[in-house]
Amino acid sequence: MSAAQIRLFTLWRREANRFMKIKKQTIGAPLLETFLYISVFGAALGTRIDQLHGIDYVVFVIPGLIMMAWSINAFTNNSSSILQQKFQGAIQDQLSSPASPLELLLAFAFGGFMRGLIVAALTFTAASFLVDLPVEHVLVLVPALFLVGLFFSLLGVVIGIRAEQFDDVAFAQTFVLQPLIFLGGVFYSASLLPEPFQTLTHFNPIYYMINLVRYGFLGYSEASIALSLLALTAATTALFLLNLRLFTRGYRLRA
Amino acid sequence: MPPAYAATGDPPDLECPYGHRRSGASRRAGGAGSLGSGVVNASPSSDGAAPPSALRIEDLVKRYQTGVEALRGVSLDIAPGELFGLLGPNGAGKSTLIHCTTGLAQPTSGSIRVFGFDAIDRYADARQAVGLAPQEPNLDWFLTVEETLDYHAGYFGMPKRERRERSRELLETFSLTEKRDERTRTLSGGMKRRLILARAMMHRPRLLILDEPTAGVDVELRLELWHYVQRINQEGTTILLTTHYLEEAEQLCDRIAFIAEGQIVGLGTSQELAASYEVETLEDAYLALVGRKELSRSHVEVTAS
Repeated sequence: MSAAQIRLFTLWRREANRFMKIKKQTIGAPLLETFLYISVFGAALGTRIDQLHGIDYVVFVIPGLIMMAWSINAFTNNSSSILQQKFQGAIQDQLSSPASPLELLLAFAFGGFMRGLIVAALTFTAASFLVDLPVEHVLVLVPALFLVGLFFSLLGVVIGIRAEQFDDVAFAQTFVLQPLIFLGGVFYSASLLPEPFQTLTHFNPIYYMINLVRYGFLGYSEASIALSLLALTAATTALFLLNLRLFTRGYRLRA
Repeated sequence: MPPAYAATGDPPDLECPYGHRRSGASRRAGGAGSLGSGVVNASPSSDGAAPPSALRIEDLVKRYQTGVEALRGVSLDIAPGELFGLLGPNGAGKSTLIHCTTGLAQPTSGSIRVFGFDAIDRYADARQAVGLAPQEPNLDWFLTVEETLDYHAGYFGMPKRERRERSRELLETFSLTEKRDERTRTLSGGMKRRLILARAMMHRPRLLILDEPTAGVDVELRLELWHYVQRINQEGTTILLTTHYLEEAEQLCDRIAFIAEGQIVGLGTSQELAASYEVETLEDAYLALVGRKELSRSHVEVTAS
């Protein structure tokens, strides 16, 4: 391994080590939360709703829950980790090392990505035991989940860098991210909403992410897959470039 | 005391890839050769020129976004193998100077070279050569003592086997072996101080920066640290030490600089500094610097008698 590879791997390893040391909170709690959603919306509510667009309700919501698990965990991990390290001053050890802005960014981004992946994979595995969950379009599903995970990881990095107190992170998650995810159609089909809510939903970027993941699993879509993938790729790239600029300038990291 | 540098006459205003404009002086590589013990990275060569300084700071200005000018044209030249002291009252600019050198703060203008490597343009080489033991404990609460050392060395690209051997050696040196599996937040203040110093040494830096390393530690640990600092200095490591303990600077340092209000206002050996302020001791020179001559021990003794 070259020195740069060792640096990158160590930086990433620190991120993974952090969330694995508090895995009850970082892995266990979100997993339980997802199960509660499946129980409440699938088992309890599902018996009343029966089917949506010819798909069992519980099966209809699981792709959205998997996406939600990945995105929220990726976001939370990075925003919390960066803010905690800024508080402790521990980030100075990384900032005063020879690591480049790109190496620092990749390590943080893939730390959250990995946590989201673990929670999402465990959710998928467990859900597969409970219901018959198909994977209709794996070539859409894999890049869609990868991009969604990366997008929210990078969003977590931005918020973590900008944040000056834990309230800033909580605000972004509770008042912005979660409403957008919940109103993006995780638990329902937007096509069933009355106007103007149906139109309003189309302005929510998360709606297209859920649509992509749902199409990958179930083959059901309410929006253009190609356009959604393109828009998600563009948004993720823009966020990556913004983060790289922040790390290069040392924004709120270096005095 | 004249500044320890000469004007370079380099062309100004070359665009720096790190995001702000720099003077032409900062773009040129320093001298030749590799110096000190435990060399990790060689210095940039310049065809038989004199070996580069361990740390060469030229006309360094740091203005924070708040408008506060923490450094106002600081110039310093620290030779390889030197044990150099930086003294000044709180808020004089000591930590800002250290932060600019280690990449934790970005200079507004001027240049910093570490063993000939520009701290901005060649930041990876420059930082590779520097070890920092900061004033405030900045340990990661999630890590154990051993992980702290291992991760730090990893950030500096050290291979696994070498990391393991080096951390074992430093844990032993700083009497941390029994604590190696404990999380850093459970350590006492003294143990944290030891760990911070061990971490700074982990990647075998050629320039070790100690920002008030003995602040708040007991006498035993202070003396232990002094011995260690002297030993590694004798082995070739250049040391930049900031401290509020004047006897510490007097006993350990080859040369000392006084910094006040963001400027170097005195530079030399402790005797030279005392002479320049026309007093007998370094302490009296320092008191003259901060305008508190009435606190001088000789003054107090005379008054008492």
